Amino acid sequence: MSQPISTATPNRARAHIGINQLKRRDFLRAGLVFGAGAAGLAAGYAAVPDAFARAVYAAKQGGVANDNVLVMIQLAGGNDGLRTVVPLNDPTLHDLRPKLSGPMVSQALPLTADFGLNHNLGGIKGLWDKGKVAIVQGVGYDNPTFSHFESIRIWETGDPTRRQVDGWLGRTLATAYDSNGHPLTGCACGTTDVPGALRDLQATLTVIQNQKAFGFTGGTDVEAAVGALYKGTPGIYGALFDTAIATANDTIATLRTSSASYQPMADYTDNVKLVYSSKNQLAAALQLAAELIVTGTGVKLLHVTLGGFDTHYTELNRHDDLMGYLDSAVSAFYQDLAAHGKADKVLIATWSEFGRRPKENASGGTDHGAAAPLLLIGDPVKGGLYGSSPSLTGLDATGNLKYAVDFRSVYQEILGGHLGADSGEILGSKFDRVPFLQAAAAPV
Amino acid sequence: MSVDTPPDRPGSAAATAAPARRGLTRRQALAAAAATGVTVGAVRLLGGSMQNLAHSRTASGTDWVSPLGSETARVMHLLRRATFGYTPAQLDAALSAGFSKTVDALIESKPSEPPTLAEATTPGGRFAIGKLQQWWFDHILTTTTPFAERMTLFWHGHFTSDYRKAADDTFMYWQNLTWRRMALTNLRSMLMQVTVDPAMLRYLDLATSTGQNPNENYSRELMELFTMGAGNYSEEDVRQAAKALAGWQLPQPDSYATVVVDAAKNVTRKLPVYATQKSGALNQKRAYKGTVSFLGYSGSLDTQGVIDRILAQPATASFLAVKVAQHFVTPQPERAYVNRLADTFRRSKYDMKTLMRAILTSPEFTAGASYRALLKSPTEFMVHASNALNATGLSKIAVAAAPGMGQSLFDPPDVNGWPNNASWISSNTVVERVNFVTAALGHIKGALPSAKDVVHQHLDGVLGPQTANLLNQATDDRSRWFITLASPEFQLK
Repeated sequence: MSQPISTATPNRARAHIGINQLKRRDFLRAGLVFGAGAAGLAAGYAAVPDAFARAVYAAKQGGVANDNVLVMIQLAGGNDGLRTVVPLNDPTLHDLRPKLSGPMVSQALPLTADFGLNHNLGGIKGLWDKGKVAIVQGVGYDNPTFSHFESIRIWETGDPTRRQVDGWLGRTLATAYDSNGHPLTGCACGTTDVPGALRDLQATLTVIQNQKAFGFTGGTDVEAAVGALYKGTPGIYGALFDTAIATANDTIATLRTSSASYQPMADYTDNVKLVYSSKNQLAAALQLAAELIVTGTGVKLLHVTLGGFDTHYTELNRHDDLMGYLDSAVSAFYQDLAAHGKADKVLIATWSEFGRRPKENASGGTDHGAAAPLLLIGDPVKGGLYGSSPSLTGLDATGNLKYAVDFRSVYQEILGGHLGADSGEILGSKFDRVPFLQAAAAPV
Repeated sequence: MSVDTPPDRPGSAAATAAPARRGLTRRQALAAAAATGVTVGAVRLLGGSMQNLAHSRTASGTDWVSPLGSETARVMHLLRRATFGYTPAQLDAALSAGFSKTVDALIESKPSEPPTLAEATTPGGRFAIGKLQQWWFDHILTTTTPFAERMTLFWHGHFTSDYRKAADDTFMYWQNLTWRRMALTNLRSMLMQVTVDPAMLRYLDLATSTGQNPNENYSRELMELFTMGAGNYSEEDVRQAAKALAGWQLPQPDSYATVVVDAAKNVTRKLPVYATQKSGALNQKRAYKGTVSFLGYSGSLDTQGVIDRILAQPATASFLAVKVAQHFVTPQPERAYVNRLADTFRRSKYDMKTLMRAILTSPEFTAGASYRALLKSPTEFMVHASNALNATGLSKIAVAAAPGMGQSLFDPPDVNGWPNNASWISSNTVVERVNFVTAALGHIKGALPSAKDVVHQHLDGVLGPQTANLLNQATDDRSRWFITLASPEFQLK
């Protein structure tokens, strides 16, 4: 049989629940950094280790001392790069996409003679005109997988060999910051579960689906009772439970203060036209991110998601609508940060598990693809096009775009250049530079 | 039995409780358990002593003491995992029957059909999804065959679809009916029903795929997520199967209705109306005419042929065995266990009753190591709480509370369905679980059921020190219920 099954037996796992005294190597030895949950199993993916535990460690030596912030926006489902950054003069495009290519070329917002942005990215085009948008083209990795879940794992862990189980941002939290007692250092906004990119056995992080609704409806009595109830909880989920409640209580206290002092200075709206209603409230999630940033909560790494990009069917309207949603939410976010004098600290970066097949299918959509462009937005970037656009005539054996830039080159630049973290330690290797930042916070 | 026992008394007494004999009522069993010293505070220090703890890196912390040596505890464990917890009456019945007969009854009972959903004939299936969510919750809460509902929920997360893309809530309703009817049948016929299910035809785009220009979406997920798992087929297999599967279309509606979709602008649309449940239809003109090479076979191949090639792969039984084991037994099933289950499943020609019986009667299911090794999904948690309170009017509250815990029925996060176990825990979801308890208790006006036996009825008398402490301090039933249902113990199964 070929399913990856953990070698850790239940009994062994249960013998190792004393997270607090353990170091990472002990987890490894104990087999607690491991195989898959059911969801992950489908993709051979370690979803969340069942003893996934809180960080209770002292700050790492040489931690980061600047106050830069990173906001990752996941475009989940596989964003169509060719409809995001459109080749304007390639005759092959029409042959590959007779139904999908027409309006996307004629309406594109020109960036250069050869490329234009999707016509619904007008706000981001405005930022491009001010030199605040860097576009890295042709981003991917060797031997791409066309499985959503395998590729998401690769992007989340920063490891195409699929060995790493911790997320690249989780490792950043664990190595460069002291998240112990500061659970808002890493925060996922607008979701209920921990995004894979932020997971690490030694990182504490916060998840807030809806800022307005976050808190105990029973009031402070309930808050206190639950705080007392979840202490020293036995069993393999004990540390995870206790940390979640402790983190929630910290976060509730922080939000009480921050909500009182924050006034949004932009028009955030999730009331947008979409072909299928969205699971994610991107604008509300970014507004929460702005609140956490401008009120000085100490947040460093933020993650938000917009789903719906798996456009196998009727891509034309669906993708355009999603681009419009992304554009209005990101524009409001940037405007809000700028109005609060924080725009110089914040880097916004998009990511998606893959681009889409250049050739369209019978459903007026596109199947899973490979290389695609990433957008980096904010005052810290040096605007322009980076990487190189993959050739539409030189497709690989699966009919997909070949990549020009390893996605970890982009991570490396973000980690070293923007956050000032040790990218070599976090990524485990060095990659080619993609110098899309104005000034590096630390040597990249 | 009160909860005044010293809470910090480390006891493995729970494990020594006398096995309940068949024919015992719940009350008798609980009384017997109490008499033999089942106690709160039944956690055990791993590594033997506090001194060891301070110095040992590998054997620190505490673990639950498994009470599964007792038949009473095994029956409660079974009902927590194979159903949605129990009302006092359901527990009585199961304790009287004993573990083995309860397994028989769960597996052999014909699933009871939910009541007809009146909204299902709404043109275009355009009715509020909340109606469908509440309809299912109500049925789970009141059904006489809760194992069928537990399996329907399992398949909803496995052969998943979401109402947003299915874009017709009637189709989602039908899918729920189909998944329930097929839940304990045969994987071969199930996979055919999944393939031609209208909501699935929409959700994974098979309805718009053609042999000439196939859409790969369903082909890929059929292999990656429904049967074999990634790594057991090639990209070329995905493409070849996409051709062989093409040609299915949505069923023809019985009629159309003209409906005003935007009153302000006076926009109307002609929407399909279905009088009865239907499945997809094969349009030969859209099917692939040539031959394919798929999983080692070359020649012409139809949908049944694709399914049979998939069932001929050893990976398929193993993949499903792992997933079922993770949902019902342990987060990390051992390889030998999986192999055993997969062999049984394969030998039975993919009979789900055989697989589920093998799971529920395996020694692993009631092994000490599997005690409280799984986390209740939000749906299980909410229904368990409602059952424990003997309340049936909580479905509206449950539907409203579900999204914050990460599980809205008919709206999975993605095509991989819901994650399980540890993935259910985050700072957001634990708060929302507690908030559900607050809302549920607030909804019940007047007297709550007595909380006198709740520690034994619902927590097996195995409590962590903090839960025991707080229960000791509680002065009224409302507080006792709150602590019990909000406790970490109650989140586990």
